[in-house]
Amino acid sequence: MMEPLFNIDFKKIPSSSGKEAAERKKNFELFLKGGLPGKKDENWKFSDLNFIINRNFKNITNNDNYKFDEKIELVNDFDHNKIVIINGSLKSYDLQSEENGKVKIENLKSLDRSYNRLKNNLDYLNKALSIGGFNLEVQKNYKCKKPIIIYNYFTENLNNKIINNSNKINISQNSELTLIDYNIGKNSKFIKNTYEEINIDKGAVLKNIILQKSKSNGYFYKNISGTQNYNSSYQNFILSSGPKFNKIELDINLEKEKSSCYILSGLNLSKEEHQEIKTQINHLAPNCKSFQKIKNVLDSDSIGVYQGKIFVKDIAQKTDAYQLSKALILNDQAEFNAKPELEIYADDVKCSHGSTSGSIDAEAIHYLMTRGIAFREAKKLLIKGFLNEIFDNIPEEKIRIFLEKSMAEQIDEIR
Amino acid sequence: MKNEELKNQDYKYGFTTEIENFKAPKGLTEKTIRFISEVKKEPKWMLDWRLKAFNRLRVLTEPNWQKPKYPKINYQDLYYYSAPKSFKDKPKSLDEVDPKLIETYNKLGIPLNEQKRLSGVAVDAVFDSVSVATTFKGELDKKGIIFCPISEAIQKHPDLVKKYLGSVIPISDHYFATLNSAVFTDGSFVYIPPNTRCPMELSTYFRINASETGQFERTLIIADKGSYVSYLEGCTAPMRDENQLHAANVELVALDDAEIKYSTVQNWYPGDKDGVGGIYNFVTKRGACRGKNSKISWTQVETGSAITWKYPSCILQGDNSIGEFYSIAITNNYQKADTGTKMIHLGKNTKSKIISKGISAGQADNTYRGLVDIGAKARNSRNYTQCDSLLMGNKCGAHTVPYIRNKNSSSTVEHEATTSKINEDQLFYCNQRGLNQEEAVSLIVNGFCKEVLQQLPMEFAVEAQKLVSISLEGSVG
Repeated sequence: MMEPLFNIDFKKIPSSSGKEAAERKKNFELFLKGGLPGKKDENWKFSDLNFIINRNFKNITNNDNYKFDEKIELVNDFDHNKIVIINGSLKSYDLQSEENGKVKIENLKSLDRSYNRLKNNLDYLNKALSIGGFNLEVQKNYKCKKPIIIYNYFTENLNNKIINNSNKINISQNSELTLIDYNIGKNSKFIKNTYEEINIDKGAVLKNIILQKSKSNGYFYKNISGTQNYNSSYQNFILSSGPKFNKIELDINLEKEKSSCYILSGLNLSKEEHQEIKTQINHLAPNCKSFQKIKNVLDSDSIGVYQGKIFVKDIAQKTDAYQLSKALILNDQAEFNAKPELEIYADDVKCSHGSTSGSIDAEAIHYLMTRGIAFREAKKLLIKGFLNEIFDNIPEEKIRIFLEKSMAEQIDEIR
Repeated sequence: MKNEELKNQDYKYGFTTEIENFKAPKGLTEKTIRFISEVKKEPKWMLDWRLKAFNRLRVLTEPNWQKPKYPKINYQDLYYYSAPKSFKDKPKSLDEVDPKLIETYNKLGIPLNEQKRLSGVAVDAVFDSVSVATTFKGELDKKGIIFCPISEAIQKHPDLVKKYLGSVIPISDHYFATLNSAVFTDGSFVYIPPNTRCPMELSTYFRINASETGQFERTLIIADKGSYVSYLEGCTAPMRDENQLHAANVELVALDDAEIKYSTVQNWYPGDKDGVGGIYNFVTKRGACRGKNSKISWTQVETGSAITWKYPSCILQGDNSIGEFYSIAITNNYQKADTGTKMIHLGKNTKSKIISKGISAGQADNTYRGLVDIGAKARNSRNYTQCDSLLMGNKCGAHTVPYIRNKNSSSTVEHEATTSKINEDQLFYCNQRGLNQEEAVSLIVNGFCKEVLQQLPMEFAVEAQKLVSISLEGSVG
């Protein structure tokens, strides 16, 4: 008899009532019935999670240790507000740069949110085991003075643990926020399953940067579900190179006119890394814009995946949607898989997508070498040029320099 | 000949030929399969092959991942074999063929009489489940080219058929391919001997006539080393309120330095304005570039059928082999098309090119679905894909679902897709020069499709251009 993969202790989750505990157990049963998604599931075709988890984990338990007494290594390249999260749970925050009461953050109880669309089995798992997370709200007509960095710490003792958490972000009318998710992991090998709900109201702007500090043994899945109101803007920069496995699923509904959504990603994957970005942009109203640019550099035996879907409803005339995925494959063991999908029901639209994958241009390398630049330097220069394009859309210079710096460190590791 | 049914002028091939039929008993049973095999006077190995497929079919289920959904087909309520009665004893020459049949083909513009026919095209005419006639046989024989109905090939060239049948589309491939393997009735068989260039275009014309009948044809084309063949395929069916199933299998094998060019103009009855009737065109087409430097090129113009569901594919096994796919899919009214290709790169330096043009009007749905898979050993491979969609009105849909897999660092894959409507400026420009709206649309659409149309052999290209215009009639305004 094989040992069960999960060994969950519900007592570790602080459930407020018996009813909630029963609800959690029910969801866990539902999860076990379907199991982890595998390659037979269209959404997981290129990332067989069931296989990956079974190969790397056994006897997975839920974490209940949030102790943390180390000093936080702060980013000192630019001034910012801070939120500290330890193993998925909100620990402390410092919003001193902002006017009092304009930005609110609080602990989010696990089940007081809608889960408006249960998409896959991992959502059931999250619903069953979520320890909550944060609820962030920016008040009406307030433009945040400084960006917020969320320091996502993962401690040393998380081996074979699973963390489920859920966050809610609400950007009210005409307000603005830049939010940086900064993952800092230690060596432990764990799974994290996050559900995030984002609501961007009329005329509001949210810039979200997802960044990984260093290599991590973590296996991440994040499901972001967003709704956008009239003339709102959402910009997401995914720069999370480093974890062993990472899948970010974005489901954005452009519900009202003139809203726009940008998803840009620059990833640099190396040995035994597997990353997938899956997007679904639903154009539900006329005159909306979406733009996606996904760039992958794949070294060693890494696997990069992009599954993007643009859906245009019949009333969503004058839609402007664009999707581009590019991959540089540096090694024969590396692999790039893409499925850029269009589903269009309105005729007066401009929708296009492109996808390319291939090796580094040998002629460009040759050109640089004839100018006295060594092979490795030339290669790095070209990779840098390939990835740095993503940052063009970040106007704040200090943040851009900080991101370029962390990218340069990663590229430096390429042989 | 009944002419009353020809109410709708748009589909001019919608007539029925009233001819006495000889049918297999209804239903998909082992008995039916034995019946087909017996009527065809097949050897035992062929019957065994069919039964093997039938046994496999019992455990398979119909696929349901595709976009166009269709009501459940009752496989027990279909005839799997239908032939004109006069075919019970096969006519020896064209003079013995029922004049009604010859008239049917004349009406379709496919005269079987060789003198009348444009020289340079040899035709195999398939009517429901049997091949009616094959023209220019003598001339082809001289070069050693075999072009005959597959049922004849099973008897006369069993070694070739045994060797290649099912080698590209295995018996257990998927539901409809397996169904075809079990019950296929007729189709064409082509063998081009080494270092031979087929002197004329080979062509098969498929006609569904009988009602409640499924057509299951099977085509097998083998181009031996250094040979070349260009093959055309055309199809029509009468107008009926019922949906008829057409599940064909086409297998191509190209050996070293061989080239096969396969062109289809598919014009099955698409159903009426309200989406009643029409053919379900569930076809499996696959070619294997087995040899070095071989090439397979698919060109298709899909204008008919209520539902089209096919992916002509290339397996690029041989080093330096080339696969091409050119497609125009036009859907109007309630038609649905889910079509595309698969390019599987296995050999070194393999190249593939995909050009797909989808046009949807009315309430139609048009999907491009394709796979480009570059294997780890397919070094220095190259793919270029372009799929463009044109939408007319906001009740129709255009979708693109490409799957791209690249597993080595020396190969390049490029994919582009656009979706738009007909440019107002272009329309205005044409109107200004005295073209009415419909003429202008037809002109612009033909321009949109030009890249694909020019791949077709000359006789077909003219026909296809007309077809493109007719299919979209009444969709503007």
